[in-house]
Amino acid sequence: MSPVPAAVLLGGFAVAALLADRTLSVAVIAAVLLAVCLRAPRRRRWPYLVGTLASGLVVFLLSPLLGSYGGIVYWEGPTVPVLGRLDVTSNEVEEALFQGLRLVAVGLAFAAYALLLDHDRLLQAGGWLRRSVLAIALATRLVPTLERDAAGYVEALRGRGVAVEGLRGRARLLSPLLAGSLERSLNLAESMEARGFGRPGRTRAPRAPWRPLDRLAVVGAALLVVGGIVWL
Amino acid sequence: MAVARVDRLTYRHHDAKRPALEDVCLELRAGELVCVLGPSGSGKSTLLRALAGLVPHFHGGSFAGRVEVGGLDTRRARPSEVAGIVASVFQDPEDQVVFTQVENEVEFGLENLGVAPPEIPRRARTALEAVGVGALAARRTPQLSAGELQRVCLASALALRPDLLLLDEPTSQLDPESAAGLFALLANLEAAVVVSEQRPALPLERCDRVLFLERGRLLLDAPRELALEWLAENRPAYLVSPRPEHESFVAGPRVLALNEVSYAYATDEGVGPASLELARGEVVVLAGPNGSGKTTLAKLAAGLLEPQRGEIARSGRAAYLSQDPGRYVVAERVDEEVALGVGGDLRRGHAALEPVGLAGFACRHPRDLSSGERERVALASVLVTQPDLLVLDEPTRGMDPDRKHALAQLLRADAAKRATLVVTHDAHFAADVADRIVTLGSQKEAVLAA
Repeated sequence: MSPVPAAVLLGGFAVAALLADRTLSVAVIAAVLLAVCLRAPRRRRWPYLVGTLASGLVVFLLSPLLGSYGGIVYWEGPTVPVLGRLDVTSNEVEEALFQGLRLVAVGLAFAAYALLLDHDRLLQAGGWLRRSVLAIALATRLVPTLERDAAGYVEALRGRGVAVEGLRGRARLLSPLLAGSLERSLNLAESMEARGFGRPGRTRAPRAPWRPLDRLAVVGAALLVVGGIVWL
Repeated sequence: MAVARVDRLTYRHHDAKRPALEDVCLELRAGELVCVLGPSGSGKSTLLRALAGLVPHFHGGSFAGRVEVGGLDTRRARPSEVAGIVASVFQDPEDQVVFTQVENEVEFGLENLGVAPPEIPRRARTALEAVGVGALAARRTPQLSAGELQRVCLASALALRPDLLLLDEPTSQLDPESAAGLFALLANLEAAVVVSEQRPALPLERCDRVLFLERGRLLLDAPRELALEWLAENRPAYLVSPRPEHESFVAGPRVLALNEVSYAYATDEGVGPASLELARGEVVVLAGPNGSGKTTLAKLAAGLLEPQRGEIARSGRAAYLSQDPGRYVVAERVDEEVALGVGGDLRRGHAALEPVGLAGFACRHPRDLSSGERERVALASVLVTQPDLLVLDEPTRGMDPDRKHALAQLLRADAAKRATLVVTHDAHFAADVADRIVTLGSQKEAVLAA
């Protein structure tokens, strides 16, 4: 599938998850997107999956304590200043599950975009929006680049007998990672300018036309959005 | 016909105490291959950036004199306007790749220059084939080896068909055969080609003219024959010297034994099955073409990878120097960086800086150093740990010939303390340092001294 229809389809899934009212619908969307993400290489997909699922879990665990939706009371806790009385009710648990799944679905749509799409071709399809799309595509690539850099730092440290363990050990890498990405962005900008980026009158290499599957994906995305409003 | 003229160029980086270039004058003509030599930090890269218009537009600083390329004054014309007349390949290929697919990367510059769309893929393919990576067109750039990536960057520059091609250490990641192929290609281009190199043997064989920079001043601008005479008299380290006779090493106990080990990455690349033994006291160089698995074998030897098949026996502690000196910038100061491997012992950190010529750099931030200086920080960071097995992956990247020779001497002087495995494409450094050269990708094993 071409990257533009694929991106539109993933966007359709994310919008449908945001518009849907039923927990089951959102759960199905999240399951489909999870299956898509599992097609990515194991080493690349785990930070995205862990991050997304952990965020959803945090929402599921915390929002019943903070929300107030009535229903059967499962647990009553102390009264906390500002937050008021802490409790967990049946309606709050249902709402927390719904919101958690919604976050997971949107997160997985982004993960599939970052892991599986050809950002180059997406960028080239941007046409007159090229500068903005380039910025977005380069920003999207930041995470995998940081991932590679972090692995390089860890390897270099292990190579001189320094173990990188625990939160503190990994936190030490944050500053060099940030500085490294700034340095890289400057080098990249220099390289782009040296190759004529920003010059007027640019052209585009010819690209393969859309296939039936691509058109089907765009129609599918539209149906997902409509379905999200009307039925889901 | 002059493609570029540099007239009394003096350039000082922002906040620098002395100029990076001082009163430089030269003229570049179509079809000539010019080799720029000089120690680390002598201004070679800055000169190339000035010819591309990136100095001063991109880097700021103070600029005096005039640089004219293809009739354009670089003070008035932006680098993007000069692009196409000039094409550049910078030192670090990983930092100049915009796209994730090889073909798209090569097409990027052509699109920016407004080349007719049907012409773009054809020119991109021709350029990729010219540098011997036509088969990589559909590959993803993050999956390429450093040597392959360097060739893709070269193809991106060649595809623009510039009048002036500027190459900053274009062979630093290439095996000798690929490097020879590149220079054969460059020698036949109609464009003026300026190559800055720290492995001078090959460019000195093929170039028409040599420039020698030192502390920003152009000490030499002469045709090849005259330049060779000048170098022989004034900078002999830049010429091919006869291989020094090493003292016969006394083989100590075995430190490392790799027995039929193999390792494959998800991309099917890797190494194996391979066998290798190292004894305390010997220096073994691991050579071989790009992609033959030298780095993988080095990591297996150092214990950074576990073999998928075969066995490894190692006695004592191993240390590994990554081929990317940019990985040794975790701490805020050079001495702290070096001391990381010895539990933060700054005294040992300072002592380790001395032999690599960085005694006065202890308080500097590692990111403020040149690539050659960073390489030496990386070396000190590994040497300070005093390992039983020292594994160095391309330790001479960005180093000038004098520094390389000093490193070879340093490794030889301390050879008895450990077993040393060096991965390098630099044939002269290999000859300078090795007791034995093992070539991966074939069964050949050459014994230089025993």
